[in-house]
Amino acid sequence: MRLFDPHVHMTSRTTDDYQAMAAAGIAAIVEPAFWVGQPRSHVGTFEDYFLSLLGWERFRSQQFGIRHYCTLALNPKEANNAALADGVLALLPRYLEKDGVVAVGEVGYDDQTPAEDRVFGAQLELARAHRLPVLIHTPHRDKKRGTERTLALLRETKFPPELALVDHNNEETLALVLDSGCWAGHSIYPATKMDEPRMVSLVQQFGAEKILINSAADWGVSDPLKVPKTAGAMRAAGITDAAIETICWKNPVRFFAQSGRLDLADGDAALTVDQRELWEGNSVLRGQAPRVDS
Amino acid sequence: MSSLETVLTSRLPEDAASWFRQALHKVRAKGEATDAFLIMWSGAGRRLGPTPLEAPTDDEKKLPFFPTGWGADEFGRLLLLQGALAARLPEAHAALVNELFVTGDLRERQAVLRALSHLPAPERFVVVGVEAVRNNAVSVIEAIACENPYPARHFPAEAFNQMVLKCLFCEVSLRRVQDLAPRVTPELRRMVEAYASERRAAGRSVPEDVALILT
Repeated sequence: MRLFDPHVHMTSRTTDDYQAMAAAGIAAIVEPAFWVGQPRSHVGTFEDYFLSLLGWERFRSQQFGIRHYCTLALNPKEANNAALADGVLALLPRYLEKDGVVAVGEVGYDDQTPAEDRVFGAQLELARAHRLPVLIHTPHRDKKRGTERTLALLRETKFPPELALVDHNNEETLALVLDSGCWAGHSIYPATKMDEPRMVSLVQQFGAEKILINSAADWGVSDPLKVPKTAGAMRAAGITDAAIETICWKNPVRFFAQSGRLDLADGDAALTVDQRELWEGNSVLRGQAPRVDS
Repeated sequence: MSSLETVLTSRLPEDAASWFRQALHKVRAKGEATDAFLIMWSGAGRRLGPTPLEAPTDDEKKLPFFPTGWGADEFGRLLLLQGALAARLPEAHAALVNELFVTGDLRERQAVLRALSHLPAPERFVVVGVEAVRNNAVSVIEAIACENPYPARHFPAEAFNQMVLKCLFCEVSLRRVQDLAPRVTPELRRMVEAYASERRAAGRSVPEDVALILT
């Protein structure tokens, strides 16, 4: 079965990860722009980060046969630096027009401050102007309140719920999100957030409609194989292949296809892989024989 | 009557052709803000698409130039850029072309490089062409090095020599480099001979294309 990881920060991962993901059936990924582990102090570093998501990382992924798309935004944590925030918001209109951008994201709340309100609202307007869906992060601290506040903002601004993917759900937030008409993402993590057995229970309770799962793998303790592992746990628990395919492929395709930029026809997941290609003076390969699919 | 504009629009679906005509009209207007142009430049990718343009009609063969092998997006971006430069003072041209290259994704960079020799006073953009040879995505290398008259016409010898070696390293055929023979110098022969020697010492094959330089 083809699998889609709709939230994974590959910039922080190795080529071993790419190989393992491809071998486990992952055929497409979305890499959201996010916090890099420490605060940035210049707008220019955001611009170069956006360019790497649109360029080098996309290229690196495709060398392993995985289609790479990205979402661009100012993340909620750094929305609290007002000077930086204004600079990044000014940068976004031209970057949101580029080919591999399939949503505005990650936006949302972190500390749930007024500054985060302002930047979240401004980016919902950008999504509307560029006809893009939004990928919304929900806070780890005071999550339920933050999720309620997210859904309230979407309602107040009349943002179409079918264009919103609310991420990092748990047992306390999923029903709220589904009732709102938004799509619901779940980040499967080794220790925090959501795990495989709990995810199986949620699917048994709520079904597959509008449910997505992702690894949210990044520079912390995380696992880029959580989508295939969770698919395996669902199968072992007797969830049908049709439901698993809806969660792990069809739903992310349907959601991001609303951008009009997901050049991924159903049945067209396999990329022609040519690892001979080089980038910026660095081959991904270092000495081993390139894989070239005819 | 064919024009470069109708070469593109006659090959596009009507909604894309209509978008392009309006975009071209806007970028040609004097005083058009650079931000608005940059947004149209980026948005041209998904609207025009990467499909290579079909072969010229008999009428189109009379045009001074036909973009054989170019993607519709690349050719549309050339026309947009020509329009934007015509609407600006010459002093602003080099900075705009450089900005498009530096902040472009892969296909945007390719479009800039294919466009270079079709822009006014193209010798002003040599920094961009030379920089492209340092950026090593094969598709970007090909856009400057292959079927492109720009390097032979405008690159200084050092940069041209680096481009030839880069093509050998990336397995891009030197047969695709335009006007190669007049740019072969003793220094380029020395560099290519050293490259061949290094490959032989490592037990690796030597590309046949070195013969184009060494004989």
